[in-house]
Amino acid sequence: MDDGGGWPKGLRVGVGLAAGAFLLAVGFGAFAVTHGWPAWLTITTSAVVFSGSAQFALVTALAGGGGLGPALTSAALMNLRFVPMAAATARFLPGGPLQRAAQGQAVVDGSWVAAQRPGGGLDRQLMFGATLVQWPAWILGTALGALVVPGGAALEATGLDVIFPGFFGLLLFDSLRASPRLAPAGLLAAAIAATCRFLPSGIALTLAAAAATFALRQPARIKEPQP
Amino acid sequence: MTTMIVATVALAVLNALYKAVGPALLGGREFPPRLRAVADALPVVLLAGLLTVDVLGPGWRDFDWTVLPGLGVAIALRAVGRSHLTCIVAAVAGTAGLRLLLDALG
Repeated sequence: MDDGGGWPKGLRVGVGLAAGAFLLAVGFGAFAVTHGWPAWLTITTSAVVFSGSAQFALVTALAGGGGLGPALTSAALMNLRFVPMAAATARFLPGGPLQRAAQGQAVVDGSWVAAQRPGGGLDRQLMFGATLVQWPAWILGTALGALVVPGGAALEATGLDVIFPGFFGLLLFDSLRASPRLAPAGLLAAAIAATCRFLPSGIALTLAAAAATFALRQPARIKEPQP
Repeated sequence: MTTMIVATVALAVLNALYKAVGPALLGGREFPPRLRAVADALPVVLLAGLLTVDVLGPGWRDFDWTVLPGLGVAIALRAVGRSHLTCIVAAVAGTAGLRLLLDALG
């Protein structure tokens, strides 16, 4: 199933992905610390969660009030996509259930997309290599952002506060380009999330997730996101 | 602090379970189409929600219009095929430059 060249290619692909992840991680580190997270916990979060969008959702929701439940719900929903993504890799992973579960931990967005073979199937070694490079970059970037980058006004003066909305905007753009039929659901979610004017951010985000049921109105045509 | 630690540990465990359950239990089987449709839509709606909440902030108190041109630059560059890294660097530079210009103009 593997062509024997997966690891080298995965490491090469991973370097490119890691450069972007590093920059985003700097933004996350600075963002979390300016929202009251201690640097050590911010770095630990990146090490054990390793998911920018969920980590950002968690910090945003906790900072906006509403408590642990809504914050964890919005972050957990953000990562729910990993369930079908990891499940789709199952038949390409060797070993028993525990071994396959361990290998499934390598599923992250960029690596998973890069590992898809044009004719179908998945290059698991490529996925492992690409993820192996991105993980330390994500942790180091977070450490730099949490320990070195100044917060508050300096963050705004340097434009670094644009990193995360920019990141979300790009991912959203890519997703909508791959699945334009989801645009109404996205607009509905944005409108619901705007209730953060009156509601705690975590609750507004959780309510926005309900817009996903809009997808049930149309036949599912699952497409892979563009790299 | 305790809330943050609990949230981090819980999210880490959930994340690991998400990635483990399919490979360990489902094998090559696929999810029902309707469930896949909702799971497929979740990233889009949550990204749209996060973008909105991040730009507006709690009570809409964080809204800063100078972020919008930076976002526009990033999306425009992505539309012509630039990498995420290039788009983000351009967005940061665009917004920082605009703020510098506005400061200079008083």
